[in-house]
Amino acid sequence: MSDKILSIDNLNISFMTSNGEVQAVRGVSFDVHKGEIVGLVGESGSGKSVTCMSILRLLADTAVIREGTIRFEDEELTRVSKAEMRSIRGDKISMVFQDPMSSLNPLIKVGKQVEEIIRIHYPKKTKEQLYQETLELFRKVRIPEPEKRFHSYPHEFSGGMRQRVMIAMALANRPDLLIADEPTTALDVTIQDQILKEMRTLRSDYGTSIIFITHDLGVVAELCDRVEVMYGGMIMEQAPIDDIFENPKHPYTLGLLSSIPDVTQDKSKRLVPIPGSPPDMTNPPKGCPFAPRCPYARNICANEIPEFYTIDENHSSRCWLLDEEAPLEDNPFRT
Amino acid sequence: MENKWGKLKATNEDREKIWKKNRTFAGDVWFRFRHKPTALAGLIIIALLMFFAVFGPNFTDYSYSKQNLDVVNVPPRMRVYETADGEAYLYITQNMKLLEVSKDGHLGSQLEKVREDSGRYMTIFDYKGTEVALYYGQKPYLVADPETLVIYPHTTVWNHSYLLGTDSLGRDILTRLMYGTRVSLVVAFVAVAVNLIIGIAYGGISGYAGGNADQVMMRIVDIISTIPLTLYVILIMVLLGSGLKSIIIALGTVYWVDMARVVRGQVLSLKQQDFVLAARTIGSPTKTILFQHLVPNCMGSILVTATMLIPSAIFMEAFLGFLGIGLRPPLASLGTMCNDATENLRTCPYQLFFPALVIVLIMFAFNFVGDGLRDALDPKLKK
Amino acid sequence: MVRYFFKRLGMMLIAMFFIILLTFVIMHSIPGGPFTSDKKVSPAIEEAMNEKYHLDDPLPKQFMDYLGNVLRGDFGPSYKYPGKTVNEFIEDGFPVSAKLGGITIIFVLLAAIPMGILAAVKNGKWQDTLMMALATIGVTIPSFVIASILIYLFSYKLSLLPSYGLDSWKGYILPVIALGGYSISYIARLMRSSLLEVLGQDYIRTARAKGLTEHQIVIRHALRNALIPVITVLGPTIANLLTGSFVVEKIFAIPGLGVHFVDSVTQRDYTTIMGVTVFYATFLMAMTLLVDLFYCLIDPRIKYD
Repeated sequence: MSDKILSIDNLNISFMTSNGEVQAVRGVSFDVHKGEIVGLVGESGSGKSVTCMSILRLLADTAVIREGTIRFEDEELTRVSKAEMRSIRGDKISMVFQDPMSSLNPLIKVGKQVEEIIRIHYPKKTKEQLYQETLELFRKVRIPEPEKRFHSYPHEFSGGMRQRVMIAMALANRPDLLIADEPTTALDVTIQDQILKEMRTLRSDYGTSIIFITHDLGVVAELCDRVEVMYGGMIMEQAPIDDIFENPKHPYTLGLLSSIPDVTQDKSKRLVPIPGSPPDMTNPPKGCPFAPRCPYARNICANEIPEFYTIDENHSSRCWLLDEEAPLEDNPFRT
Repeated sequence: MENKWGKLKATNEDREKIWKKNRTFAGDVWFRFRHKPTALAGLIIIALLMFFAVFGPNFTDYSYSKQNLDVVNVPPRMRVYETADGEAYLYITQNMKLLEVSKDGHLGSQLEKVREDSGRYMTIFDYKGTEVALYYGQKPYLVADPETLVIYPHTTVWNHSYLLGTDSLGRDILTRLMYGTRVSLVVAFVAVAVNLIIGIAYGGISGYAGGNADQVMMRIVDIISTIPLTLYVILIMVLLGSGLKSIIIALGTVYWVDMARVVRGQVLSLKQQDFVLAARTIGSPTKTILFQHLVPNCMGSILVTATMLIPSAIFMEAFLGFLGIGLRPPLASLGTMCNDATENLRTCPYQLFFPALVIVLIMFAFNFVGDGLRDALDPKLKK
Repeated sequence: MVRYFFKRLGMMLIAMFFIILLTFVIMHSIPGGPFTSDKKVSPAIEEAMNEKYHLDDPLPKQFMDYLGNVLRGDFGPSYKYPGKTVNEFIEDGFPVSAKLGGITIIFVLLAAIPMGILAAVKNGKWQDTLMMALATIGVTIPSFVIASILIYLFSYKLSLLPSYGLDSWKGYILPVIALGGYSISYIARLMRSSLLEVLGQDYIRTARAKGLTEHQIVIRHALRNALIPVITVLGPTIANLLTGSFVVEKIFAIPGLGVHFVDSVTQRDYTTIMGVTVFYATFLMAMTLLVDLFYCLIDPRIKYD
């Protein structure tokens, strides 16, 4: 892999709420290399969205970055001024959000909304340039009849079309990094596939790195180079895509994999859900956050948070079962 | 420590444990309500005002209607002159008489007038055998010795006979305020209760019946709500004549439209839900479904609408009273008291101040309680 | 849009018919004729009066006559001021009230919208607390109390502004504040909550992710959306100013239509009460309709067909 463009190190984020401090992100570290698509996988509340929003500093005022660094190219994003942050947003790093229905301003023509992102970062461009660039972007994301669509309002678009507009907007200034926060979750499966295709073209055409947030391992398999599995505000396992599917080293990853339906699967064999629900982050468990739901959990899991165990150069996992001392019986990872 | 590699015993109950504290719905509402200081303050103010209005008149020696023209427009804090013997004060009334005031601020009787000395702008009165003069040649009027022309020393003293002073007919403002608050609260509560009954019945039937009946009933509501209602309250007042009953009827029959809309909207969405279907499958009659299943479930929004309706009813009553088409004198309401007071605003601002203060307190209190209830009942805010 | 307009117009006409009917029925169900009230008039004169005003006709015919006259814009003669017509009252009083009301509504919008924006943008800070405290006071204190306090302070105590009449621009200050106080507070609160809600929307997050400044976000993306609820209450606000004018015109001795209306109510001048009610209702409904039409010009999502 080529050089890193984003490097997150030991990130800790808390929200101040009336019920106390919610530790949404606890010691997250990962890197994104140039032209790489990194999948961030986990169920809702696992801290994946919060991590990504913190890169652009789009978190609510109640959120505090307790610790850690976010390095983007040569800048430390947790320290830059508000004005510098604004000049990065939408230019070098852009974002596509989950719900295309509500992410566009209903009162402004879509063309104008796309033009705006170019105009604020490159105010010297003429009206004609802005217009032509917007049409070009519309063509790029395959919006039919771009000249006509330029003057439409968001409510006249379908969900998939709106997400294309959002992607066009995110691409407008050819960002180095695109953060896609569950961009396909709210869409039909057929549309989903088209959007994923757009993402891949984007990477091959522009060399843009992408952080792709999802809870759907199927989508990850189609798109990503590397996967970070998150649970309870922590990264549980990080590995190249093939390793995740062929050689998973964390019970949570195993759980996620066995809850993916498969047509070729024997119908008498039921999908295996992961029992229970995610932990309450105002009062996180003392040990491994997954321990209460883990079928292999040992006493130590409930008491101490495991460190990362390295499986190989690119693959590591936080699980006590990988410890050298861990017993072999009922242990899927050590044989 | 036990064997750290032993299997962790986790039951399914642990896994499915609900992390949040569990409260009943009413307990939950009350919990959120009492954590809002403004709402709690509003509730306390309402309680105090109700106590004031209901039990207050038992503690006063005056009646709201009895006039005493000797003590017209006496303020709560009086400018008085000390008598020569130093045993009492003298207060100059608005109709140019001298009133004896005891040292502790109780009003006594009027002094007897001896003669008029218009040449020297004086009226001479008799105080325990000595002559005192009321000099009206300059403002403020003075009390002096008619012989030596020495001005009596003046001071100010609180009025202990009429704590809040008297009005332009010599009636005790405190007593009238108690009755006025009582009238305003009664008008508001009864009018809102009438609105509530009409609104719930109309909205409930419209929402539950649905279809064409709902269409027709809602078109009627649309038409009514385009009519400026204040005008109709005024017209009804003209028709019925002024008086307590008329106000209640006028306010009670006009403002149910909002309530009907709220109830209809709630019933319409609730009746789609499964518990209504369940009630229907076990054969509950329509009446039971409507009044035992649907209406109790919309109680929250009904309560909020009603709480917000109370201040507007009080507002309307005060408004009618102020326009002079509300109550018939001598009956007092907060609005009529304000209206009466505007005539002497320049000289007796206190006459406006007290009833206005009570109106404002009531409005604040009900608005705060209503806001608090709405926030407490709104599950969207639950974190 | 055109269909919507005609539908609304149709509903307005039905409402008008009911208003005229209701007003007519209420006024005619008051016991005693209009001339039997206070002064004793001889039966002959009363009969002549009744004949002159067609009060002997059967009620349905009287109603049809009245309806016809109203449609032609003729509200008939005043019963209390012989020789005066209700139309003359309206022609004299309405321009005065309309001018005061117009100035007030401009003042309300100019004051309330910035107040609401400030409070929302500074949400939770002292500016917000101050604005909302002011607004709560404005919503809870009745206009006649505000008016009296203003007169007492600025006319009697400080002698800065006149306590009655509209002879100079100074005369407008106190009535406009007293009249607009409630609406300013109401709209400022609405503006605040509406802007806060809009600022929490996903598309505002999109705007932030684009790199816009907070300033640009409020002006370009939030304001227009937040103004929509404010526009919908403009109709009721006009109605509020109108009823408020009864009180304010009375206190400030302004010779507007409101004070005429209140006088006609206390003096039981039936034709004037009817005429002015019908006039007010028509005016208000027309304003509400205009506001609603304006509303669908602003929001492209609304299609009334």
